[in-house]
Amino acid sequence: MDDATPALGGERGTVRTAMMKLPRLFRTTTFRLTLLFLALFAAAAAAFLGYIYVATAGEVSRRADNEITREMNSLEATYRQGGVALLNTAIIERSAGDRPFLYLLMDSTGKKISGTIPASPMDDTGPGENWERFTLTDTDPDGAEIRRPARGLQKRLSGGEILFVGADVGESEAFVVGIARALWGAGALIIILGLAGGILVSRNVASQMQGMTEAVAAVRGGDLRARVRVRGVRDEYDDLAEGLNDMLDRLEQSMGGLRHAGDAIAHDLRSPLTRLRARLEAGLIEVENGKGDAVQALEQALVDADNVLATFNAVLAIARLQAAGRAPDPKPFDPGQLASDMAELYEAVCEDKGLDFKAELTPRLTVNGAREILAQALANLLDNAIKYTPAGGAVMLRVRRRSSGEVEFSVTDTGPGVPDEDRDRVVQRFVRLENSRSEPGSGLGLSLVAAVAEAHGGRLELSEGPGVIDGFGPGLRVALILPRSD
Amino acid sequence: MRILIIEDDQEAAEAMRRGMTEAGYECELASDGEFGLEAARAGGFDVLIVDRMMPRRDGVSVVEALRREGDATPVLFLSALGEIDDRVVGLKAGADDYLVKPYAFPELMARVEALSRRRETGAVSTTLKVGDLEMNLLTREVHRAGTEVDLQPREFQLLEFLMRHAGQSVTRTMLLEKVWEYHFDPQTNVIDVHISRLRSKIDKGFDRAMLQTVRGAGYRLDP
Repeated sequence: MDDATPALGGERGTVRTAMMKLPRLFRTTTFRLTLLFLALFAAAAAAFLGYIYVATAGEVSRRADNEITREMNSLEATYRQGGVALLNTAIIERSAGDRPFLYLLMDSTGKKISGTIPASPMDDTGPGENWERFTLTDTDPDGAEIRRPARGLQKRLSGGEILFVGADVGESEAFVVGIARALWGAGALIIILGLAGGILVSRNVASQMQGMTEAVAAVRGGDLRARVRVRGVRDEYDDLAEGLNDMLDRLEQSMGGLRHAGDAIAHDLRSPLTRLRARLEAGLIEVENGKGDAVQALEQALVDADNVLATFNAVLAIARLQAAGRAPDPKPFDPGQLASDMAELYEAVCEDKGLDFKAELTPRLTVNGAREILAQALANLLDNAIKYTPAGGAVMLRVRRRSSGEVEFSVTDTGPGVPDEDRDRVVQRFVRLENSRSEPGSGLGLSLVAAVAEAHGGRLELSEGPGVIDGFGPGLRVALILPRSD
Repeated sequence: MRILIIEDDQEAAEAMRRGMTEAGYECELASDGEFGLEAARAGGFDVLIVDRMMPRRDGVSVVEALRREGDATPVLFLSALGEIDDRVVGLKAGADDYLVKPYAFPELMARVEALSRRRETGAVSTTLKVGDLEMNLLTREVHRAGTEVDLQPREFQLLEFLMRHAGQSVTRTMLLEKVWEYHFDPQTNVIDVHISRLRSKIDKGFDRAMLQTVRGAGYRLDP
């Protein structure tokens, strides 16, 4: 124990600073759990150490008592054999030998007859056996007085004489005391190490939790880029930290998407609103000057406002799809059926405009998607094809399964088409090629189709139509490709 | 016809009332969901126009409460939320129609008219008759002045809707929603083309055209 103390000094120092630095530590669940376990462990250790004590120290003193009892029995036997005289002789003989016992034979009044000690250390000279612990005062060969623990048994013999047998238990007593001290030391060591270990574990857990708490606080404070540190030891804290980080990634992504959508809406609406405002202003000036027709100006403004709203709806739809990153409420359905409905809706429009309309629809396919927005996408493609194909041309709607298992909706027209180098560009927002500026439309049609395709995990492909035939063409073929549904 | 407008936007509500009053309807306004629910409970309205998002009690909750109490007055939801899911929630709550803001006033009027009419046609009938136009819903035959009119299935549905709302304006959006069941605005004049086809079948060769174009609104089938 004395040797162990300096070694523990360091631990104690740690404990002290930990207490001062982290008073919160003691409020942590881990610390409370550690204390509970420490208490249970200390109880178990106490039982264990107690057992060791009984098994060692107890055994030592029991053995000493047994030897005294045996010597007493042996002397008693001598007494029964030959009375006081023989006993006296035996005591004298034994005292002379190197037996470790103390002897004292007294008469019934307690006066010494013979023995190695002058008087009985016991006050009680009553009948029966009496055990006593006492201190033996001895003189060293060099004259110093030493006191040693001793134990004795005193018994009144059948003839009334009193016999005392004792033994010097100094050595065994020292052994027992040594054991007891060692056990106390072990107990203290267990508690100190347990407490120190508990604090270390708690600090470790607390620092892990603190990292997460800080990240959460930072996110709550608006910093979406805050992340929890992953230590890379693949334990449950790492799992939790990774889960938390993953969640934050998604949150950041979705917030980013929304912010982007907001920016895009602001940008996309500014120009049509500017146009509307300019027209109103010009109309007002003309009417004030008595030149224009007020009703006509208002009607034109109404048309412009409707266009702004249409643009707004398209932008919002695109933004929502992009922010969500997936189709809303996808369900399996037959793409041929959907295309057939759209064909029925648009065939009449084609006919009205003098276009030849054809539909080639592979039956019994399945795609997983949002039917309503796919219908919107197809409508946009058909609208575009009809808008840009001159009378006498043709529009074809097709649904087929590619060899890759993907399902392809395609709309092919025999209009002027889109030059190769412009094909990527026309999918972008508000891009309208020079020769299409005279046509009505927001320039968002294909962007919306692309957003619909992406939201379904698919893509949009633009290619040349059937080529130049009879002055028509080369045409445009737009394919909306959806991933296989199985 | 009495209409209750439950709308927290005072300006929008006033504009609605002006338009409706001009069209000959009697209007009452309620500025939030609680007032609206009280007024609706008092009863006597033919159509309720309910804004979806309002203070104190939102439109969905108002309609749910009314339906729970057994009030079947037709409800038109007005909402700035136009996604499919939002519409489904609104209709599930018990609304009969759903109009996304901003809307053109003729669109609102057409829908209110359609709702008020829905209530009147309680009896189930197998034939529809508008003027000299007759439609048999069982045999799916249509006759005008005794002459059979041959219609494609979709044309039949389109005409059926128009006949059920004869004398009322129906908008292109309404037709696309109710006949084709699509909820988007096509850029081209898809509906116009189908209407003109139908018109050529039912009006061609007759002195009087039944299927009228209503400027700024849509179409109307007149007897």
